[in-house]
Amino acid sequence: MLFFSYFKDLVGREVTVELKNDLAIRGTLHSVDQYLNIKLENTRVVDQDKYPHMLSVRNCFIRGSVVRYVQLPPEGVDIELLHDATRREARGG
Amino acid sequence: MVLGLREFTERVGDGAGEPVLDSDNGEELMHVQHSVAIVLGNRVPVSPGTLYISTKQVVWLSDVDKTKGYAVDFLSLSLHAVSRDPEAYPSPCIYTQYLVDTLFDIFCECAELNPEPIEGDEEEHNWIFSADQMVDEVAEEGDDFSQDPTNSIGHSNGDHDLARTVLEYLVDTLFDIFCECAELNPEPIEGDEEEHNWIFSADQMVDEVAEEGDDFSQDPTNSIGHSNGDHDLARTVLELQINDQRFEDADEMDDDHERGHH
Repeated sequence: MLFFSYFKDLVGREVTVELKNDLAIRGTLHSVDQYLNIKLENTRVVDQDKYPHMLSVRNCFIRGSVVRYVQLPPEGVDIELLHDATRREARGG
Repeated sequence: MVLGLREFTERVGDGAGEPVLDSDNGEELMHVQHSVAIVLGNRVPVSPGTLYISTKQVVWLSDVDKTKGYAVDFLSLSLHAVSRDPEAYPSPCIYTQYLVDTLFDIFCECAELNPEPIEGDEEEHNWIFSADQMVDEVAEEGDDFSQDPTNSIGHSNGDHDLARTVLEYLVDTLFDIFCECAELNPEPIEGDEEEHNWIFSADQMVDEVAEEGDDFSQDPTNSIGHSNGDHDLARTVLELQINDQRFEDADEMDDDHERGHH
């Protein structure tokens, strides 16, 4: 649940979601659910030549299970907070 | 399980109607969208057809060729999106990718792109009227939209903006339904089960260790010092006990002996 909470805090920020098929989509994080399904808005595809269809896509829903990485905005990463949260999670609290 | 895109031909009512759903396992029809063309990969659009969205899968069935249809499970749909840039595709549509490994894409493109004009299309006033009506219907229910195929939008010259607005509303609605249904289909079993197994075995191991620990002390063959270098210690303990018994017996015997003599 830690990542779910964490991603919820990132709503409204710009992230890049890299899928397991190497498609990388940049966009504003619109919402995330408990399965880490991700909805992006104002999307653009990083490698546009490879996915011309995605050019016209402005918002999309990405299945959590196909996400390889989510690149976060540096200003959205509060390391102290994450440290605390992971420790708490590790203790099962 | 996860099959990706597959041919789908099972229809109810002599193979002419809606897709046969797995209602025994709780599959329900969530949405029906008529006049939908489908584009697979870079192929040409296939139309006209009807899009059925159930709680488990997306099914597109041709209205013309009753043996033609495709289905894809939500579990296989890795991404779905709304496409509205006319340069990328002539009309607003839902774009999906499935099974990340296969780079095979589907376009489900809504309503109007049927290339051949169908009856009633020449009457433009009819169309405009229908369009107005449709906007109302969409606003009110969104569901039964364009059930009459002759009412399909976009077949006239003027008022493209209105048609486009309606279409965009439609694809947005479809997008939301796709989202809703995708969320009904979280990753099942396989991954979860492994994890559960692992946790389960770990717990079990702790239990087993605890139990074995008890057995250890109860079973004499498992007593400490019976292996390797501790052998001598065990023997010493045993000998010590034996010696004690001998001493006692000897004492008693001595006692008896002495008594018998006295």
